Amino acid sequence: MVQLLALIILLPLSGGVINACFGRRLARPFPAVIASGAVIGSFLASLGVLPEAQAGLRTVLFTWMSSGSFQADVGLLFDPLAAAMVVMVTGVASLIHIYAAGYMEEERDHARFFALLNLFVFAMLTIILADNLLLMFLGWEGVGFCSYGLIGFWYRKTENADAGRKAFVVTRVGDLFFTIAVLWLFALLGTIGIEEINSRVLELDPTTVTILALLLLGGACGKSAQLPLMSWLPDAMAGPTPVSALIHAATMVTAGVYLLCRMFPLVSLSPIAMAAITLVGTLTALYAATCALAQREIKRVLAFSTMSQVGYMFMAVGLGSVSAAIFHLLTHAFFKALLFMGAGCLIHLAGHENDIFQMGGMRKYSKPVFWLFIAGLFCLAGAPLTGGFFSKDLILASAYAKGDVFHWAIYGLGILTALFTSFYSFRLAYLVFAGEYRGEGHPHGLPRLMVWTLPPLALFGLGGGLLNLPHLFGGHFWLSGWLGREDLPHVSHHSEYLLIGTAVAVFLLGWLFAHLRYRKYSEPSRNSIGEFLLSAWKVDAFYDRLLVRPFNLFCRFCWQGGEEGLINGLLDGLASGSHGWSKSLRTLADGKIPRYLQGFAWGFLLIVGWFLLKAVA
Amino acid sequence: MTSETAMNFPLLSLLLWLPLGGVLLCLIFRKSVESCRLLALATNLLVLAIGLGIAFTADAGSGGWLIYEDYSWIEQFGIHYTLGMDGLSLLLVLLTAFLQVIAVLISWRIDYHPVFFFSLILMLGTAFIGVFLALDLILFYLFWELMLIPMFALIGIWGLERRVYAAVKFFLFTLSGSLLMLLAMIGLYLLHGEQTGVYTFALESLKQTELSLTQELIFYLCFMAAFAVKVPLFPFHAWLPDAHQQAPGAGSVDLAGLLLKTGVYGIIRFAFPLFPRAAEMSLPVLAILALFGLFYAAAVAYQQPDIKRLVAYSSVSHLGFVVLGLAAWNQTAWEGSMLLMINHGVTSAAMFVMLALVRQRTGSNEISKLGGLWQSQPNLSAFFLLFSFASLGLPGLANFAGEILILVGTFASKPLWASIAVVGVLMAAIYMLRLVQSVIWGPCCEPFEKQDLVTREWLVLIPLALLVIWLGCYPQPLLDPIREPVTLLLQQGGLP
Repeated sequence: MVQLLALIILLPLSGGVINACFGRRLARPFPAVIASGAVIGSFLASLGVLPEAQAGLRTVLFTWMSSGSFQADVGLLFDPLAAAMVVMVTGVASLIHIYAAGYMEEERDHARFFALLNLFVFAMLTIILADNLLLMFLGWEGVGFCSYGLIGFWYRKTENADAGRKAFVVTRVGDLFFTIAVLWLFALLGTIGIEEINSRVLELDPTTVTILALLLLGGACGKSAQLPLMSWLPDAMAGPTPVSALIHAATMVTAGVYLLCRMFPLVSLSPIAMAAITLVGTLTALYAATCALAQREIKRVLAFSTMSQVGYMFMAVGLGSVSAAIFHLLTHAFFKALLFMGAGCLIHLAGHENDIFQMGGMRKYSKPVFWLFIAGLFCLAGAPLTGGFFSKDLILASAYAKGDVFHWAIYGLGILTALFTSFYSFRLAYLVFAGEYRGEGHPHGLPRLMVWTLPPLALFGLGGGLLNLPHLFGGHFWLSGWLGREDLPHVSHHSEYLLIGTAVAVFLLGWLFAHLRYRKYSEPSRNSIGEFLLSAWKVDAFYDRLLVRPFNLFCRFCWQGGEEGLINGLLDGLASGSHGWSKSLRTLADGKIPRYLQGFAWGFLLIVGWFLLKAVA
Repeated sequence: MTSETAMNFPLLSLLLWLPLGGVLLCLIFRKSVESCRLLALATNLLVLAIGLGIAFTADAGSGGWLIYEDYSWIEQFGIHYTLGMDGLSLLLVLLTAFLQVIAVLISWRIDYHPVFFFSLILMLGTAFIGVFLALDLILFYLFWELMLIPMFALIGIWGLERRVYAAVKFFLFTLSGSLLMLLAMIGLYLLHGEQTGVYTFALESLKQTELSLTQELIFYLCFMAAFAVKVPLFPFHAWLPDAHQQAPGAGSVDLAGLLLKTGVYGIIRFAFPLFPRAAEMSLPVLAILALFGLFYAAAVAYQQPDIKRLVAYSSVSHLGFVVLGLAAWNQTAWEGSMLLMINHGVTSAAMFVMLALVRQRTGSNEISKLGGLWQSQPNLSAFFLLFSFASLGLPGLANFAGEILILVGTFASKPLWASIAVVGVLMAAIYMLRLVQSVIWGPCCEPFEKQDLVTREWLVLIPLALLVIWLGCYPQPLLDPIREPVTLLLQQGGLP
């Protein structure tokens, strides 16, 4: 069993290493086959160890480093929480790898792509399975590196490479907080093991716990693109679509949620931190949803919707419901991967056109893609009985059930976000599929691999609700039970009907608005609100002015002022000063006899004068 | 400790004088460039092999020395020829031998006075090894100054346009530091002689000298002047960017990989144990300089238009980390510092190898003239990416292991310093990514040599890459041998 557990992370690692070292020498399908095979193997291995999850499985492969009392192992921890994530990640990653094999059919540099994609899966699984925070950090930075490399995959365009760099640097700002939290936890408890920390959190005093939890939140915000570190995610869409589906929708961006769930015993001790998490999640959800209302590029709409949905997950964690967060994380992973991969198909069909205003009438080019994409949108919008409906509803019910003003406000904002979500989902549907084709590009066919991988995701997205069906629908919250969490909201049947009714009404209302506005195509109207939302509330410009430019100025000052001006100026001044000084001294020894004689005479006079004066005195 | 360990064979002396023997042979065979090259390579490989042999066979004898040699040398002045190797010097000697091999290999095609060039490289080897082994102050000083001459010549003769400026700057900076050290050494010698009647330069004896606090501080400052310049600690770093920018590839490898390490080594082997009270008083100052330098150098690195200067400033920044670890003064932080020293030696050498290769292919060091190298040279660029990320501290690659131990150790005693230093890690990402961006990504600037890596370059890069990954994933084999020396050195410091 332990070997199988190790195999889960070792397979993608070796696939990545093989592709990185030898991929360029292999003939066309082999890099893709190796990569997909490794991930599928990893998926099978994770199914194999799944029965062990309830009992928990822990193993130490080797000691990474140890010094004094500090010890970091490469150790794996497999419990229900990790198991749920591992199965989802390897499953979705398998499908996306196969999809990518079709997507990358004509790409020259496909070996690099598959190497990085496999390494990404390895790093992501390391985050999930790590039994200590430092190893988790290794995965955490590893996914950042792969994300960097893959966003900038088409590096010939400077924008793409810049987007990768932005993603890496912005998430690393969050990582600072994570690092400090790890250091501090070690200093306080003398261990970095996740289970050890969680079992000993009561030893810590409340203020420390609050600060630690907020530091972890900072780390989570970076990776999960939550306020205020969210600005990298929309730009990350510069990467190939399978990358967006895997990294920037299904897995990496949910790492922050996973971190908070992992450290939940610590985080949940601090009411302030919990409120902060709720607030960050809610505000991000709302912010991103408003941005999605006005986007023109299909992938950017989806990017903002991802940010918004991850906001819901944060909300759930903040409300104290880990199982609701994980439930939404799972259903979201399925339908969002589906949406991105569907979007990839649509972009392909429309001749590499990204702008939804240039699409229209895409329905007739591929019926299967149409239905599958619509299925994904229904899940996203929260259509009744889809997976997205149940998981979102559970989160909102948790907020409602708290019963105080703060949480009612959260609930209200959550409902408003749901309304926006439904609206932009159907806006996307109408603009892409309704009416006539408006684009310039020539629609062309799809590789079959790309379409075949979508149905399983649609199945899981639509049916995901079965994982955690509420009592009202005859279920028993299976997932929550399996995760061993008793964190579900207690609401009366009456309120439950009310909540469901509201959710359905919001979904229909959003659809109705979108129907009225976008049923017939009209040129996008230019107004200031639209522009404001399109530019994502102008945060990029704001951050540029607030952070980037002052930073550049500071660096320039250090270089020109400090280094060149002060230090080197001083040194060169010293050098030229002594140079000039010695030059003037040199004239004393220039070999001219009269000058020497003159000097001799003056010296003689001085000495004689001195003795004379002495004699007189 | 002064008791002579019975050694049948002076292994350390062999290690030490072997490169200089290589120089002599080079002079004999000076007519044939080919044989000199091979000779330089073979000599350094032999040193490496002997070093590895010691690493696998030697075990700590009395007083923590793996091997110890002691002969009387100039009796009138009590100068001994004392060499000692503990785990720490062993690692540094191994690093020296390894990087020397790399330095020879990347200068294979040098065409301007190659025999002289390789002789100088070999001579540097003896100087470095001597610094890392000497336990007599005069002997140490001898090797300390011996480093200066070949390096000066390497920069001044094989450098770029402003090579003379850079060489002179380097020379003046380091010499003024080390002359102060020599003065302090003589002062200490005389004081010790007056107190005990035994005039000696042996490190172990001089540690027992009783000094007033003022005397201690003055001597300490003189020693630190020499070491701080070599480290280089802010604000004594101004020579380094110029030296790096102008130096040939091999010179940069030796500079970044080894020369800077002698400064840190000097601090922990000589300055701290000789003057513990002064050292203790200076710790906050050291920490502030280190932290300030860490940020300042990173900020300056970010603005550099020249890739070699950029990496040079990154060295200043990383060495700031090392000194911060020393200032934290505990076992974990010190082990982290030593580890980072080795790791930085490998990664920075690897970076300078990359820059040399990039220059060979594009003929430029300027960021504005580079870009899109991946298009024509994917293998080269892949190594570039790997080493850059190792340098910016990606976990699992070399630098991270040292940095995290430094941070853990520092946080235990000084949480605020550590928290500030963490931000430095972010700065590293910012300037390193700028470098990566401008060299391998972006639109393509046509390199005039389209050839991707040749066999000799693979031979250089593969060991470096393996080492970078190994040191990041499993640094334990390095941490074990430095544990005991670090404990001893900390005790001699006599601080809590």
